[in-house]
Amino acid sequence: MSGNRGDRQNQGQQCHPPILLIALLALCLMVISPPAWTKQGERFDPETLAKVFPGAERAGSLAGNPLAASVFKGGARLGYIFSTQDVVGSVGFSGNPIDILVGLSNQGVISGAKLRSHNEPILVIGIPDQALRQFVDGFANIDIRRPGQVREGETFGRLPVAISGATISSAVIGDSIIRAARTVARSRGLLKSVQAKLRLDRENYEPADWPELRADGSIAHLVLSRGKIEQAYRDRVAIPGANFPGDRSPEELYSELYTGLITPPRIGQNLLGAQAFNRLLGKMGPDDQAILIAGNGLYSFKGTQYRRSGLFDRIQIVQGDKIIRLVKPHYHLVGGLKIAAAPQLREIGVFVIPADTGFDALSDWRLELLVSRETKQGGQVYLDFPLTYVLPPVYRIGQVAPATLEQPNQLDRVLTYFQQQLNDGEPALWLRNWRDRAGRITILVGLLLILSAVLVFQDNLVRHQRLYRSVRLMYLTVTVVWIGWYAGAQLSVINVLTFAQSLLSGFRWEFFLLDPLIFILWSYVAVTLLFWGRGVFCGWLCPFGALQELLNEAARRLRIPQISVPFALHERLWPIKHIIFLGLFAVSLHSTILAIAGSEVEPFKTAISMHFIRHWPFVAYVGGLLFLGLFIERFFCRYLCPLGAALAIPARLRMFEWLKRRFQCGQECRLCAVRCTVQAIHPNGSINPNECIYCLACQANYFDDRTCPPLVAKRKRQEERAGKQAAYLAKAGQ
Amino acid sequence: MKKCGLPTLTRRRLISITAAALLLPGGATARPKRFEWQGSALGAQAKVVLYHPDAGAAEAAITACLAEISRLEDQFSLYRPGSALRQLNATGYLADPSHDMRRLLHLCHLYGELSQGAFDPSVQPLWQLYAGHFAGHPGTDAGPPPDAIRATQRQIDYRRIAIGAAEIRLDPGMSLTLNGIAQGYITDRVADLLRARGWSDVLLNLGEIRALPGRSWSVGLMGDNPSLLLTDAAVATSAGAGSPFAGPGGPHHLLQPRTGRSAGRYSLVSVLARTATAADALSTALYLSPPERAADLLRQGGGQQAWLRRPNGALWHLKA
Repeated sequence: MSGNRGDRQNQGQQCHPPILLIALLALCLMVISPPAWTKQGERFDPETLAKVFPGAERAGSLAGNPLAASVFKGGARLGYIFSTQDVVGSVGFSGNPIDILVGLSNQGVISGAKLRSHNEPILVIGIPDQALRQFVDGFANIDIRRPGQVREGETFGRLPVAISGATISSAVIGDSIIRAARTVARSRGLLKSVQAKLRLDRENYEPADWPELRADGSIAHLVLSRGKIEQAYRDRVAIPGANFPGDRSPEELYSELYTGLITPPRIGQNLLGAQAFNRLLGKMGPDDQAILIAGNGLYSFKGTQYRRSGLFDRIQIVQGDKIIRLVKPHYHLVGGLKIAAAPQLREIGVFVIPADTGFDALSDWRLELLVSRETKQGGQVYLDFPLTYVLPPVYRIGQVAPATLEQPNQLDRVLTYFQQQLNDGEPALWLRNWRDRAGRITILVGLLLILSAVLVFQDNLVRHQRLYRSVRLMYLTVTVVWIGWYAGAQLSVINVLTFAQSLLSGFRWEFFLLDPLIFILWSYVAVTLLFWGRGVFCGWLCPFGALQELLNEAARRLRIPQISVPFALHERLWPIKHIIFLGLFAVSLHSTILAIAGSEVEPFKTAISMHFIRHWPFVAYVGGLLFLGLFIERFFCRYLCPLGAALAIPARLRMFEWLKRRFQCGQECRLCAVRCTVQAIHPNGSINPNECIYCLACQANYFDDRTCPPLVAKRKRQEERAGKQAAYLAKAGQ
Repeated sequence: MKKCGLPTLTRRRLISITAAALLLPGGATARPKRFEWQGSALGAQAKVVLYHPDAGAAEAAITACLAEISRLEDQFSLYRPGSALRQLNATGYLADPSHDMRRLLHLCHLYGELSQGAFDPSVQPLWQLYAGHFAGHPGTDAGPPPDAIRATQRQIDYRRIAIGAAEIRLDPGMSLTLNGIAQGYITDRVADLLRARGWSDVLLNLGEIRALPGRSWSVGLMGDNPSLLLTDAAVATSAGAGSPFAGPGGPHHLLQPRTGRSAGRYSLVSVLARTATAADALSTALYLSPPERAADLLRQGGGQQAWLRRPNGALWHLKA
């Protein structure tokens, strides 16, 4: 039982009817209060500052993109403070924002971290606050620029080991801190050493058409209408100038420019076609760059001067403090573009920029188009029109550091997550979870296949009483021990609440995919809910339900008397669970944290996730429920379970009615109603799908001619007849 | 022309302005902070004041500004070794001139025409004559001999700067100074750069002062001149006493091409214009032009207001 006990109270559900219904309801209500994390302009009190950035004297306000506040000592900026919520929109396992304040020094070392707010269910009640604080504190002194360099000692510290019992929550927290820190560091230029390692993608080709290259910024675009030129002259030139000759419309296109770095094959090869692109590369030096300039309009970017002088006098490239002139020897005429969906272009040129110009393909540059106009006095006034090019990040390749780390054995497996996270090319957390849990996923899928077989062949199975009984007992045992206690995959009403929340505040798949087992289980529950109603989950896959049933089974074998609740009372106790659910739902719209606290009405966390290792009131509560369950089977399921209530809402949507009844049921015989483990059968013989847990006990009765009274009567008649016949034959044979 | 050659900061000190941001009401969102960069551009003290909530963004903007200033100094500086201007002066020829060089020389030509030759970037040989004379005759107040001045004057004519698209040529013996306009031009380029990046609330003082749209800035001009509120406009000042060749009251850097002598009509001229280029060029041109030309010059050159202070202290306020 590794550190995964804490994972269960999580989400991972599918779009399925109950939740959609709830979501719709919630959307109608729309009474959520905005979460209270940091806002632009927020400042930090000295106490917070001391905690997150020891040694700093003051902090500026949150600003910029991503939001971060500079912290200072004297006049010197030591680094930044930011909230993970602001920077990476960190969402905890509960589907709600986790807000951790992080300090990051100019050197790329985390100075401190402080959890400001979270709604992580396991952390609300299950885990002592101290453990959580220690975990978050543990991120101090982590150097985010030294990916994976886990050194013992003061300087770099060791990545904190996950909080035991809350592994996924810990991973999410760690992930948020590191990711946010790297984002801020990158945006504020603290990761220069990392940036220096970046290089231009000169290898990767994938087909793309013109609109795609335009959309992702591979090709930049500038449109200059006459009106725009006029406006620029009015804005940027003080000297009163003459108008353009003639009465041209201000909308008329004066010049239109496209430009882009075409050295990356994804741009160049798509634009020029493989043949022309390779020919171009053949003419270039290994470190030269090539750009495309194409244009339309009255004003040619090429002009005619270059034919005589060799200089393209209307365009220049500016990068930082460099001016790069484009000259004829570096110009390559391009007949036409090979790329799909390209616009009509009057002029197309490819320019090679030699490496000795100092041009840096990874940095921003601008193409300046020089336009001139005559003034009233007869002189020429020139003006530049810049087209800025920012290389899309997809063409920047980070040198992936070789994975030479030694994994200290004593570190929890979650450390591996962090290290992978720290390396470049971070795989998504959820993907890693799925990969790392392949074994468990396989077992769970196997279990679900067995259950599916049970459901599909239920008629055949229940005909064999002993087989049915042993399959059911075994399955319930596996559900408690493996799904519940080992894998921690107990679904909870919290899942429903967080799912509804996520629909309100922005649904993200990756979020629900975080825990593969929970996700798979919810998917399965969603499907079986549609087919057979909610009972499949309650009766087969709920670990706590299974635990109650097994204990009650034991109690019966020990001849502990069972209490049969009079139906009239029983029926009136049902609504309690629905009220609990609706109450929790209403509370969750106001405060998830409160709803999560309220969901402690579920004994799942104590009994399943935390193996009863908890404060005594919780254990006493669960003990009480289980004790009652010895006399009233599945006492909790019947009257209290909010998850069952939530699932019962769409139970009437079920498509299959496979539970068989006889016309005598409820008329002559109420045996099934009496034997039903949850008393879900009305005295009139009908099965209440809101209550039914699909245990198939009534179906076992149905086919058993030693149990089902109509069948017994029939059998007896037959036996009688056979007896009589035998007696008659015996007599006749005398 | 204005200050050339000697790294004297006197003029800067003389015209040092007091720029204070007036917090305009209504800025309720973020709380912008003041960020200031001080350094030197074109041999003079320079300052960039930005208001922004975030230091990182301010720093990035200032980095971009400095790159732009450096890029243009490589073009226009008389002091920077290897600058395009020094190449041009040294050889009388500049191949593949940058857009900026062409733009600025065309503007010089324009202000030369407007000022009927009072504004002339080719006055540099005259400045060199004066500088050489006073270096060789320390303690004297008298300028170079008249025949030397006359000989040098023959090399001054902005119309003989051949501004081609692919090359720029000077006649033999000619050399240029752009110090009467380049600071304004650089200020405008930096302003354009910042505006393109979405900045407002910026005050640039790169020799000339320009405020980007947004905040208003109170700029106190030259001591007892009235201070003015600068919003999306530029102001430039020329003061002959700022960099005299010798003692106070003697010849100074603002030399008139026509007479070959320092101009003495004003002690100081400040011009308010929408661009720093216009303000810069006009303050020089007005300083060197006769008063009867002032109104036309201000209007045609794109100026809005001018403050012309006579040596006796009288202030003439001119509006376009």
